[in-house]
Amino acid sequence: MTAMTTAATSTSEEHFTLIGVWRDLRRSRELITQLTMRDLRLRYKQAVFGFAWAVLMPMLLIGAGLVIRMAAFKNAPPGTAPSIGGIALKGWAWAFFAGGMNFATTSVLLNVQLVTKIYFPREVLPIASVLTQGVDALVGGFVLLLLSPWLHFSVTPALLWLPVLCVILFTFTLALGFLFACANLFFRDVKYILQVLLTFGILFTPVLFNLGNWGNGARIALLINPLSSILEGFQVAAVQGVSLLSSIPAPDGGAPLWSPFYLLYAVAATAILFPISVKLFRRSSVQFAEFY
Amino acid sequence: MSAGRVLFDGVWKRFHRGPAYDSLRDLIPAIMGKTGRHGTELGADDFWAVKDLSFDVQPGNSLGIIGGNGAGKSTTLKLLTKILQPTRGHAELRGRVGALIEVSAGFHQDLTGRENVFLQGAIMGMPQALIRKQFDAIVEFSGVGPFIDTPVKRYSSGMNARLGFSIAVHLEPDVLIVDEVLSVGDASFQAQAFDRIRGLVKGDIPVVIVSHQLDRIVELCTECILLSKGAVAARGAPADVVRQYLRGEADEALEASTRIEGLRLDSIERLDREQVVSGAVMPFVLRGSTQVRVPDYVQVFIVVSTLASSERLYHRAVPDLRREGPADFEHALQLQANLPPGQYRLETQILNELSGMLYFGPATFFDVVDNSGFTGSVQLLMSSHGG
Repeated sequence: MTAMTTAATSTSEEHFTLIGVWRDLRRSRELITQLTMRDLRLRYKQAVFGFAWAVLMPMLLIGAGLVIRMAAFKNAPPGTAPSIGGIALKGWAWAFFAGGMNFATTSVLLNVQLVTKIYFPREVLPIASVLTQGVDALVGGFVLLLLSPWLHFSVTPALLWLPVLCVILFTFTLALGFLFACANLFFRDVKYILQVLLTFGILFTPVLFNLGNWGNGARIALLINPLSSILEGFQVAAVQGVSLLSSIPAPDGGAPLWSPFYLLYAVAATAILFPISVKLFRRSSVQFAEFY
Repeated sequence: MSAGRVLFDGVWKRFHRGPAYDSLRDLIPAIMGKTGRHGTELGADDFWAVKDLSFDVQPGNSLGIIGGNGAGKSTTLKLLTKILQPTRGHAELRGRVGALIEVSAGFHQDLTGRENVFLQGAIMGMPQALIRKQFDAIVEFSGVGPFIDTPVKRYSSGMNARLGFSIAVHLEPDVLIVDEVLSVGDASFQAQAFDRIRGLVKGDIPVVIVSHQLDRIVELCTECILLSKGAVAARGAPADVVRQYLRGEADEALEASTRIEGLRLDSIERLDREQVVSGAVMPFVLRGSTQVRVPDYVQVFIVVSTLASSERLYHRAVPDLRREGPADFEHALQLQANLPPGQYRLETQILNELSGMLYFGPATFFDVVDNSGFTGSVQLLMSSHGG
């Protein structure tokens, strides 16, 4: 009976592999659900407007986009101004990203009382935060659906790309969320760095503008950010009705306004970032209780 | 047979003294998958909080862990619950762990009792189906019934703790870890809680109990480990280990009182070996020595308490103590055991009334077996003469 077994040990190497994380998370499905429900309840329990907040943030962004459109593109040649539908979709996606990052980044530190007292896979904290934001986004998405007659979407098979883009965006947000959540525990400045990134990021990501509104050099610079490809994809598929596997050449002859490689780039960036973040998070989570 | 198992095999845990940011040097190697700044060796400002701790708790057995403050009990608890990872060695817990530690840590103050039951249960790894099944039992045991749909921020701290405890004991764990839980709630809830823990401990799961309440350890455990400065100082039958712990505490104080007050208490011993019935008179002899003339403001006290719990029943200065020095002394005492049946501890203390310094002297134990002479008030009568 005293034979040593290495199964199910807390210090085994398997604990730090992606499979180890996956197994832990599968076992913690109910915990993720409960934490997400807790966050949703807390968010709306004592708020006067309740779920209206889930709608308000993307609506404000859309409003800002419309103001810019009226101010900056009043005398622009037809077809160059960013469309209402594009602004709405991209504003909605950006609101999800920004909210998800905010909540994920503070998730571990906010729950530090739990982390130092009870063991559970710490990954559930950023996951529940991004999921909570996802539920918010669903509510916002429903409103966009109601408004769709006025948003001039192109009803083509290209709309089927939207769920794909949502999955990429969710995974990308989660991956960055893991990274920022563990970093925020060790360096409290991370929270502020994130605010800077989100405040200025909206200017350097095609949210309120389209890629085509920038010159060639700026376009290439913007495309370094994988989020630019993801957001622009929403506009290309839903408004222009163009499949993400085809290209849209630029009138100035520079970097195309869309190319299948943009999609590939976003997928590849997410696919590389995600396992790295998960591993970093898991490795450093061993130190959470000790460091705090 | 339960699937639970608790196994510690040569577990060491290193901590670092000094500013927290030094842990950054530990963090980066940890992320890279290496073991740390000094590997598993001790660096300049490091110390071992736990040294080479091994035990194997099989289903049906219960291990008690005792020791003074800073002995490594809390660290051991955190290693047990996987909050901390061992620096060296191997710690293994198999099965669902029921930890009666921080039983309401997952509560959110803005959520209702009902919402918190499901949340806390999930955090403790309890399947939601089981929580639903046990929900009524959890609420009834906690006694917060009418308030279950009230946010817990409106609860008293007792209600909070009772609800948390109730969730934890309804977890149907494969392994149970208990930490000082009997400080939860009022006396009647404590009795109810203790019955529940006793039921779980007597069941077919491995149990680890960390506690200052030594009589509980003696009552509940099949084995006991005494930790001192992170290392195992003694292990064996709980009653033996508890006695050794209490003697060890006295030894350190003995040295200090000799040095500072010039007064040394070597032993307190019962002179007869008979069983004590309530109301009987027990003769004791207190032996010691004085290094100098001991001033009147240094007093020797006799303290009687129930075995190893902190409940003090009797506390009185020894009259007519010989104070000339240097000399050895023997002082005869008679105590009337006007006590209900049970196990008692008789301890000596030296108090400097001027400086407030208190030293714990030697202690002894006695059992009172029969109730016939117990008159209802817990009191001892002391007569004393030096020599």
